[in-house]
Amino acid sequence: MTTDLARLSVWNALLASVADEMGITLGRTGHSPNIRERRDYSCAVFDRDGATVAQAAHIPVHLGAMPEAVRAVAALAPWHPGDIAIVNDPYIGGTHLPDVSLVAPVFFGGELVAFLSNRAHHADIGGMAPGSMPVATELYQEGMIIPPLRLYDAGRLNEELFAIILRNVRTPEERRGDFAAQIGSIRTGERRLLDLFERYGADEVFERMADLQAYAERLTRAAIAAIPDGAYEAEDVLESPDGALIPIRARVTVEGSTITVDFTGSAPAQAASLNAVRAVTASAVSYCVRCLLPDDAPSNEGGFRPIRLVLPPNSIVNADPPHAVSAGNVETSQRIGDVVFRALAMALPGRIPAASSGSMNNFTFGGTRPDGSPFAYYETIPGGSGGGPAHRGESGIQTHMTNTANTPVEALETVFPIRVHRFDLRDDSGGAGLHAGGDGVVKEVEFLVDAGITVISERRQVQPYGLEGGSGARTGANSLVHPDGEVEPIPAKVERRIAAGTRVRIETPGGGGWGTPPEA
Amino acid sequence: ELRVMHSAAGVTTPTAAGDIPVSMVVSGPAGGVLGALAVARLAGFPEIITFDMGGTSTDVALCDGEPAYRTATEIDGMALHTPVVDVVTVGAGGGSIARLDAGGALVVGPESAGADPGPACYGRGTLPTVSDANLALGRLRAGHFLGGEMVLDEARAIDALSRLGDPVDVAAAVVEVVNVSMARALRAVSLQRGFDPARFTLVAFGGAGPLHACDLAASLGMPRVLVPRYPGVLSALGMVTAPESVERSRSALLVVKEEATGELTATADSLRRELAVAASAAGIDAASIAWSADARYQGQAHELRVAFEVPTPSSIAAAFEAAHDRQYGYRVDGRSVELVNLRLRFSAPLPPSPLVAVAAGEPARAPVAEPITVAGEPASRIEREALLTAHTFEGPAIVTQLDATTVVPRGWRGRVDTYLNLILEPAP
Repeated sequence: MTTDLARLSVWNALLASVADEMGITLGRTGHSPNIRERRDYSCAVFDRDGATVAQAAHIPVHLGAMPEAVRAVAALAPWHPGDIAIVNDPYIGGTHLPDVSLVAPVFFGGELVAFLSNRAHHADIGGMAPGSMPVATELYQEGMIIPPLRLYDAGRLNEELFAIILRNVRTPEERRGDFAAQIGSIRTGERRLLDLFERYGADEVFERMADLQAYAERLTRAAIAAIPDGAYEAEDVLESPDGALIPIRARVTVEGSTITVDFTGSAPAQAASLNAVRAVTASAVSYCVRCLLPDDAPSNEGGFRPIRLVLPPNSIVNADPPHAVSAGNVETSQRIGDVVFRALAMALPGRIPAASSGSMNNFTFGGTRPDGSPFAYYETIPGGSGGGPAHRGESGIQTHMTNTANTPVEALETVFPIRVHRFDLRDDSGGAGLHAGGDGVVKEVEFLVDAGITVISERRQVQPYGLEGGSGARTGANSLVHPDGEVEPIPAKVERRIAAGTRVRIETPGGGGWGTPPEA
Repeated sequence: ELRVMHSAAGVTTPTAAGDIPVSMVVSGPAGGVLGALAVARLAGFPEIITFDMGGTSTDVALCDGEPAYRTATEIDGMALHTPVVDVVTVGAGGGSIARLDAGGALVVGPESAGADPGPACYGRGTLPTVSDANLALGRLRAGHFLGGEMVLDEARAIDALSRLGDPVDVAAAVVEVVNVSMARALRAVSLQRGFDPARFTLVAFGGAGPLHACDLAASLGMPRVLVPRYPGVLSALGMVTAPESVERSRSALLVVKEEATGELTATADSLRRELAVAASAAGIDAASIAWSADARYQGQAHELRVAFEVPTPSSIAAAFEAAHDRQYGYRVDGRSVELVNLRLRFSAPLPPSPLVAVAAGEPARAPVAEPITVAGEPASRIEREALLTAHTFEGPAIVTQLDATTVVPRGWRGRVDTYLNLILEPAP
């Protein structure tokens, strides 16, 4: 039926809607606010070789990392109908421990025809601090490590494995609900994908999957070919818990329709949680390239083909086990984006916006309610986005590697023993410019019970950069407001026990300004 | 007597409207939804998805027998927490521009030619649009647009489409792409609200809705399409069929169990008193009262709006659990149900319906105005004016009228009901 001309767009929509619906199911049936409100998850469809075909535009830092999960579980073959694999090992297909992936084979006519996967950020996966985003040096401190295993074996739940997982997390009932939502999402995807196989036949679907990968490759190559050939270098820094600056360098080389990003010269892996595993770096780089493509372009394997990565061994952008990695996914990924965009800004003047806040301002907390029940929660707090060539930055918004929504204050206060005193824009935190950067926010949360908190934040020492004459943004700041009113500054990366009545105040960085500001 | 439509699908007096002006936002689309529901109920299909496709965008609303509401909306960056009919804007319109992207795919929109310069066939633009594709395929008829008052420029449409390849191939591809992307958006919108579109009737209106409705319904597995007698003025019809009504709500966060009876009763009584005052001020004779509530399982953050006869803990819990089961496919036995808002609406008697039944006459077959060619195959053009009660016809056919053009593809069958609605269904 489908005409040749329409085929790519039609199949792009058909396969993307499978991933869309997996995401809708996961978001609607999830139990934790992190999943149902912040929508911290991604869903994707893979061909039978494990290469991505369609990925819903959920969380960019999952973009390059989800194919790694599918590759990682390949060792579990042979597959049977009803199998679902689970993995969160950052060094084997994961990103950081709270992101738990499920991967399922799809069978049609007795034959393995595709894979489906989703990845959701669980609010706690054990380890030394509630929320599993501790100030750590080793992976073992960050939580439970799940290597690629079958959670379902031919349709039967592996109860022993599930029991071990639930016994190692602080909020097992919530985890149970979120896993059920992930499984429901896989089942939804399977039904929708099988509809396509039944309607069009396996050979047709295989061909169209390959077409879409080739299409994404053409789009990506066309975008790269539009960048003038040359080598463009940039550097930016992360902030070590001890105050030292950790350089990330990138040399972006454009030759025709291929792009090579060489991170030689970046710092070695650190005794801190800022290390990025290879999959995270790959995600960050492909995200930057993806930003040069049209909105509706499919996110799949084809888009990776024109991109080459050179990653120094055991470095901050390619850590070896057992380095801690929880912040590599959320913070280092942002800085990798900043560095690559800064290099691209030299190649494409007038097209790239200034730096956004550059930190997800990760805030995790947990403890015990007066009734004895445990709670644990993770959220990221937005900052400002950078001003761009065409418009000013947005205020109070998540940027680049995360697409998460804000959890409504009402939802937070309903579920957790906290009171949110302030959640407003932080005036004048965006950088000045022809198009000013957006402002960060101030969030102030009072704990009604004793609790453990962890803050992992960046851009507390070094400003998000401005571009083309615009100024950098204001750096962020963290503090405690004690019940007696005393304000105590706390570090960018900190773990604390706090008493009931204490408020945690997090002020996030704005975005950099773009262009020389008009004369006042 | 002047009455003002409000965004929660009722009308009220100018004074009452002036007291709460915020309740008037999006009352236009609310009228469209009410109009669609009014005709669909009379036709016997109260579960509908409205499909109002215009020049640049498409408005969609899902009504599971009643209009769906949402309690929060955003207008021009301002958050409003007032009940409004849940209308979502999706996809493309007749003016959406088609082009080939850098990867060689034909994409449609989001850029639109709007009304100025408009589609190439309107005589000023040069870029190919969805309307140009419909015209080139014979789905739109050059001499029967706006009742023949505006003659579409077919040669100009063909020229514009030729920029992208063979004009007929391009036209077919444009229609296919716009249909599939609309289907994707419509499915996502439905599923996010807990509905499977497959059990709904698609009510098509707006200038371009009836052009694409059958294709869209087919790809969503929907059983039928209803095209009202006057698809272009359905919103106005909705407004005159709306009853006078007032609604008030009370936030009352409480766990719905027997122990809460006292608190619930007190809240309900006070809400009823408040509403009685408002109703008498607005001169509304409360012929019917309707209780509803926003409720959820304790720990959830999304509420479902559910209706019940009397505000008791057991009736709210039962209504909620049934709704949760219907929308999400499961219920959690033993989990506490939490009330978030209690709502009450007083409605006056329905105004006399302007829709009148027309008895069937002879002959049974619809008269064909003209044999035509659509996308290369023989089809019939039928004048909507000539379609009378109980007339039937087979696709492929094009029904033309002043305010819209309806495409009935091969394999579809049309019939006219007693209210002169077109009911289109896949032939058995």
